[in-house]
Amino acid sequence: MIWLNYRPALVMFTALVVSGWSSGMASAQTQGAAGGAEKKPPAQAMQHNRGPKRLALSNADGAVVTLWKPDLGKRELEPKMGMITLPPTGVDNYHAIVVERDWGDSVDAIVRYEYMRGKPSGESPRKLTSAVKTPVEVVPDPLPREHHRYYSRAEAAFILRYRDQVLANHPVVLQTSNGSSVNGVSDSEGRVVFQIPDDFSDVVPGERDQRGAELSVSTEYQAEGVQYNSVLTAEYRVSPEHWQSKPWGVAVAGIGFVFGGFLTRRIARHKKGGAK
Amino acid sequence: MNPIKNLSVIRKLVQLGAFLLLVYGSALGSFYLADKITGALPALSCAYDMNGSDLCALIPFQHQMDHRLGPVINQGGDILMGLMPTLITLGTFLIFFVVLNKAFCGWICPLGTFQELVQILGQKLGLQRTESVDPGVVQKTRPVKWAILALLVFGFPLMTGLGYLNHDLGDPFCKICPSRILTTLANGDASQLVVDSASTTTIVLTLIADFLFGLMIALALTVRQPFCRICPMLALHAVFRKVGLLRLVKEASPRCGKCGLCAKACPMDIKEIHTEMVKKDVTFEDCTLCGRCVEFCPDKDVLKLKYAMFPVFKADPQYFKVRKKAQSVWEKRTLRSLFSKTKQRGVTEP
Repeated sequence: MIWLNYRPALVMFTALVVSGWSSGMASAQTQGAAGGAEKKPPAQAMQHNRGPKRLALSNADGAVVTLWKPDLGKRELEPKMGMITLPPTGVDNYHAIVVERDWGDSVDAIVRYEYMRGKPSGESPRKLTSAVKTPVEVVPDPLPREHHRYYSRAEAAFILRYRDQVLANHPVVLQTSNGSSVNGVSDSEGRVVFQIPDDFSDVVPGERDQRGAELSVSTEYQAEGVQYNSVLTAEYRVSPEHWQSKPWGVAVAGIGFVFGGFLTRRIARHKKGGAK
Repeated sequence: MNPIKNLSVIRKLVQLGAFLLLVYGSALGSFYLADKITGALPALSCAYDMNGSDLCALIPFQHQMDHRLGPVINQGGDILMGLMPTLITLGTFLIFFVVLNKAFCGWICPLGTFQELVQILGQKLGLQRTESVDPGVVQKTRPVKWAILALLVFGFPLMTGLGYLNHDLGDPFCKICPSRILTTLANGDASQLVVDSASTTTIVLTLIADFLFGLMIALALTVRQPFCRICPMLALHAVFRKVGLLRLVKEASPRCGKCGLCAKACPMDIKEIHTEMVKKDVTFEDCTLCGRCVEFCPDKDVLKLKYAMFPVFKADPQYFKVRKKAQSVWEKRTLRSLFSKTKQRGVTEP
């Protein structure tokens, strides 16, 4: 009997090592050639950008930039040369960067959530999204869960909020840095759902594409004689559906099912033979 | 038999409750990882399931090997600091594990529940069941779960963190785990049942995962708990089973050598329950503390499920008689028998 045995497991481990090793070593060699005599292969984690995060900010004269920690602790940041550098806060999870500029009769605000690494904060991102950070906000509902992100083709939901009230039946626009624009209107609960446009150019079907682009969800609202212009910005990536095939997945699972059926029949026959 | 007094019925109800909680529980406000119940559950509740209320301990272990310990070793840092997150996860795992021991497999695990439901389906469809897997096969299969734990949960992710393997092998067990496909499909999300052509590694991993998922369903129709036998969580449980408060205890009687009903009832085919005559603690490495062996033991107090010092369920000849009868009635009720009865009725009625 070949099923439930260690041989298939051996084949599986070998296949994984061979497939994983070849590309791992290839990347090690490339780095070694470029960087001189490297004795140790480069750690994969080094490929993650773990330095301080930097965000570009244009026309920011007079703007107040605030970094909100997961526990709602706040810290003011100073933009330099049109860049905001996010200092390490020592705790992980989502942080909010809020840029506000008060013109007197109007207030412009940009909110962005960034995942930062550190010791476990023990705080839920819900706490951060629920907090009123600027009078009019486009709030992700929910934020992409920790270690996830927005992808093209996927649906993303947002809630429009003025202080602690939702903005029902209110217009909102999603725009991307790839040039797409989608209009929407919030429902009676202030919620709007967009399908993020699949607008990356030159995507090759079947090949992994790790490009990212920016999306912004913006709305305007007037209250007490003040015009509020609020934008939520976030990064989104190429949909993995471009290199992941569901029909093939179903087909392979089907082959596994048929193979399982074949094995159980064989076992049954074997048992009958043994019984005779 | 009164279903409320039937341990298997009680267990099924607990399993279904746990399944609903773990697979759909985000409605209770646990969408984000920071809100999960434990973050290191001793059962295969999947982190890829966006609606799940918890995640199993194996995913943080893999991530910590890849993103923490590996880089710390590579940079010549303090290994204890590199191990600290793993120790915290292990500590959390143990706090919960002590409470239920290996019963997390037999009573809580969504994948275990699914396999039992598929087995009931197979039985009701009248498919020929394989009551016991050949002892030789059982013996040969046992090391596989240890190899998967050592290599896929700790080894490959650590090698990835050290830079010897590519990043797609950072969480290889999750990539092949049937619970990932099952729990996401249960939420109407087919994004995990795919072949991923991003790299050779992802192709191999997704082919294995999809094949294993189909294979598990087909086998579960006739064989009891096929994936549980190679599950690394079962191996991890086996390491710490001595610290759990719930245990299977045996007071061997001279009749034990002849009977063997307990081993036949065992869904994991642990024949040692029947042959062990000396040891009192018979919570063997493959045991899931389902309690079926206790139910089908005909001798008074020979097998017991004990919580610390207190027996919670004991073998009893009266219970055995009623339970065995109830089992026979249950097994006779298949779609095939129902169909033939209807046909007979159709023939006899004018």
